[in-house]
Amino acid sequence: MSSDDAHSSSSEHDSTDQNPNPSTSIDQSLDAIEGQLTSISLNHRNSPLPEPPIPPPHHGIGDTLPSDAHSQVEEVGAVEKSGSDVEVENSVSRGEGVLWRNSSDVEGEVEGQGSPSSSGYAGGKGTSSSSGVSGSGIEEISGDEVDQGEGGIRSGSFGGSVDSEWVPGKRHVNEDDASVSWRKRKKHFFVLSHSGKPIYSRYGDEHRLAGFSATLQAIISFVENGGDRVKLVRAGKHQVVFLVKGPIYLVCISCTEEPHESLNEQLELLYGQMILILTKSINRCFEKNPKFDMTPLLGGTDAVFSSLIHSYSWNPATFLHAYSCLPLAYPTRQAAGAILQDVAESGVLFAILMCKHKVISLVGAQKASLHPDDMLLLANFVMSSESFRTSESFSPICLPRYNPMAFLYAYVYYLDADTYLMLLTANPDAFYRLKDWRIRIEMVLLKSNVLNEAQRSMLDGGMHVEDLPVDPSPRSGSLSSHLGQPRPPPDSADRCKALLGGPCGLWHFIYRSIYLDQYVSSEFSSPINTPKQQKRLYRAYQKLYTSMHDRELGPHKTQFRRDNNYVLLCWVTQDFELYAAFDPLADKALAIKTCNRVCQWVKDVENEVFLLGASPFSW
Amino acid sequence: MATSARNNLNAKLVLLGDMGAGKSSLVLRFVKGQFLDFQESTIGAAFFSQTLAVSDATVKFEIWDTAGQERYHSLAPMYYRGAAAAIIVYDIASIDSFARAKTWVQELQKQGNPNLVMALAGNKADLEEKRKVTADEARLYAEENGLFFMETSAKTAANVNEIFYEIAKRLPRAQPSQNPAGMVLVDRPAVGSQASACCSRYHFFSYYHSDLNFLILFAK
Ligand SMILES: Nc1nc2c(ncn2[C@@H]2O[C@H](COP(=O)(O)OP(=O)(O)OP(=O)(O)O)[C@@H](O)[C@H]2O)c(=O)[nH]1
Ligand SMILES: [Mg+2]
Repeated sequence: MSSDDAHSSSSEHDSTDQNPNPSTSIDQSLDAIEGQLTSISLNHRNSPLPEPPIPPPHHGIGDTLPSDAHSQVEEVGAVEKSGSDVEVENSVSRGEGVLWRNSSDVEGEVEGQGSPSSSGYAGGKGTSSSSGVSGSGIEEISGDEVDQGEGGIRSGSFGGSVDSEWVPGKRHVNEDDASVSWRKRKKHFFVLSHSGKPIYSRYGDEHRLAGFSATLQAIISFVENGGDRVKLVRAGKHQVVFLVKGPIYLVCISCTEEPHESLNEQLELLYGQMILILTKSINRCFEKNPKFDMTPLLGGTDAVFSSLIHSYSWNPATFLHAYSCLPLAYPTRQAAGAILQDVAESGVLFAILMCKHKVISLVGAQKASLHPDDMLLLANFVMSSESFRTSESFSPICLPRYNPMAFLYAYVYYLDADTYLMLLTANPDAFYRLKDWRIRIEMVLLKSNVLNEAQRSMLDGGMHVEDLPVDPSPRSGSLSSHLGQPRPPPDSADRCKALLGGPCGLWHFIYRSIYLDQYVSSEFSSPINTPKQQKRLYRAYQKLYTSMHDRELGPHKTQFRRDNNYVLLCWVTQDFELYAAFDPLADKALAIKTCNRVCQWVKDVENEVFLLGASPFSW
Repeated sequence: MATSARNNLNAKLVLLGDMGAGKSSLVLRFVKGQFLDFQESTIGAAFFSQTLAVSDATVKFEIWDTAGQERYHSLAPMYYRGAAAAIIVYDIASIDSFARAKTWVQELQKQGNPNLVMALAGNKADLEEKRKVTADEARLYAEENGLFFMETSAKTAANVNEIFYEIAKRLPRAQPSQNPAGMVLVDRPAVGSQASACCSRYHFFSYYHSDLNFLILFAK
């Protein structure tokens, strides 16, 4: 057990590390890539001039996609698993990813054994003195935290209950790889075809980045031809992460210091979003014509992608692979669920009622289950497309985890400014039936006051750390008075009164139920109340999550780490994962006890913060 | 308004045309009286309804505002199948959109519904200084292909109500006294489920009466 002293080595690393890869061809590739990247990031003028924009040919999806979803053929083997991927790391900054688990800049306590108790931490193991923070800890990640491109995250909870002024849509369209501003962006996302044609760029106009795309393509195929697949390149403070999906290449170039595993998952989601819009049948267009230009097929979707990428900096669902529910009294959610269940029994595949990013209720037909990532992508698609707000819509969409080859049809209707209903069907002729269903659903929701309750819940927010019950004894019955109503008076007898936030210095937590595929996070409160702090906490959780799910080291059970900003506690059991952030001066034993209480609290209110009893989402 | 019950028509109307031609803007002007300078691109298709009274009937339009984005082209039949009327929209400031309009006309003609009322709308007529397509050229094309033509502006509202009104007037009227056998009670049709409706004997109105839940087959 380590002491509670916060060791704070700087985040510089040995630059003497050898490239761990024994293959000489990889070493050569690495040199080449490093050279390429240097030229990308520094000598931008080297890249060839962009080709003039190609007039969009009329490759309708119709060429390849029958509008009848049922007639589509499963495509086999387009996506390889990444088991044999080779990591190519630049020796200069190698080890950054390792730092998190091995270095001493944090107080690391990583246990392979979980606590057997099902109700919380087994108690205050270890010493409990807190000796503060030494001077040279992780610096403020200045500048990195809030860059103009990514904007601030929302206030309120991670669930995005309060909108910030962030507006989706492409920024900086006039930039290209010759612009200084473009090269200074902290996090780029690119999608290109295997022939090097740009498909999407987060910043700048795709067509103006043709030269840059060609360079990326050259890097990827250079290494691929050697039999290896590039997954990660480090160049200075940049990480370049590649994801190859058949004929589509996705690339993230980032200096945000996020773990590369996270960046990789972000690329996966980006690809999923593309599949949601086009289905994987798009691959056939490339089979017919390797130089196929995909950009026209993504016309008008900038806002969809930019808001997805934005969510990588505020929405925990993007790394937790779980969804969150709008807190509601149990009977209220039941009422919504009952009517949706009726719909699902009448031929609708999925009936989903959501309030912004949060689920009110959702029902799947018979065996159909909805993957949380599909939900995230679907909700993002609907919310970022203003068009859905104008009236009722009936649109083809594809759920990549459900069936990446086929379109479903989504009836989408906004019941009020925040609450929307999505009815998914495989039947392209179902519109009028779904419209009728919607009218019935709307009547039921109005009668049972669900919409008003949802609005109230949006205003009140969910769990506030200040409300953490001080008495750990089991609470009974409905706590609806607790979630949405005046708080109980603070217990002045509590020996661990907080300076800020909740008891014992608890600032925030996320609880993820593994069985339910759902999570609940507490609302932000002081001192996590600026977008910058929220984003920093978000990134800390993201890192913690990654380190807890490290493939090589195997899953960890608990972690306790202290740095300048927080004490972070993580606890993973078979049933749940708890991530909690405390005051950096928080007492360790008390923090552990507090985590126990948080778990108990969540269990006490699970009726309200989770969607229970729906068809199991087993994945 | 001397509308007898038998002249309450439900008419499915579809808007087709290049992206950005102004289909959504026309519909929003017609249905809500609004115009937005930054109208978002439509996803899939949006459904609206609006009722219009013409001299001899009340027409309830069920409007499908389709997406002009290329990826949705192959899905257009899902929306135009069974339509009684279509407005094909182009932007007078874009040659391409006019060319695209012509291909939509061809596609609809191939569907073989001779009674489809087709209108050609040269939209953004307020952008006279950017005009690329002359009214004469478009009118000539429309006449040759059996469409009626109007230049519209969703922005100024010029000719917007008029084009829908003109369609309402041109819709074939139910004449149950002449052909009572043509009236058939069926289940409410789903979108486009009556694809085979182009038989010569019946003019197949895909209208259904939303209150009464029946579909009317009219003799030609
Ligand atoms: N000046 C002017 N602008 C118009 C007019 N009609 C539409 N616009 C503008 O043209 C742009 C595109 O209009 P939309 O109505 O979205 O076009 P659309 O045909 O629905 O496009 P898709 O949904 O992508 O197929 C919007 O920014 C409108 O404000 C018009 O009559 N005059
Ligand atoms: Mg539109």
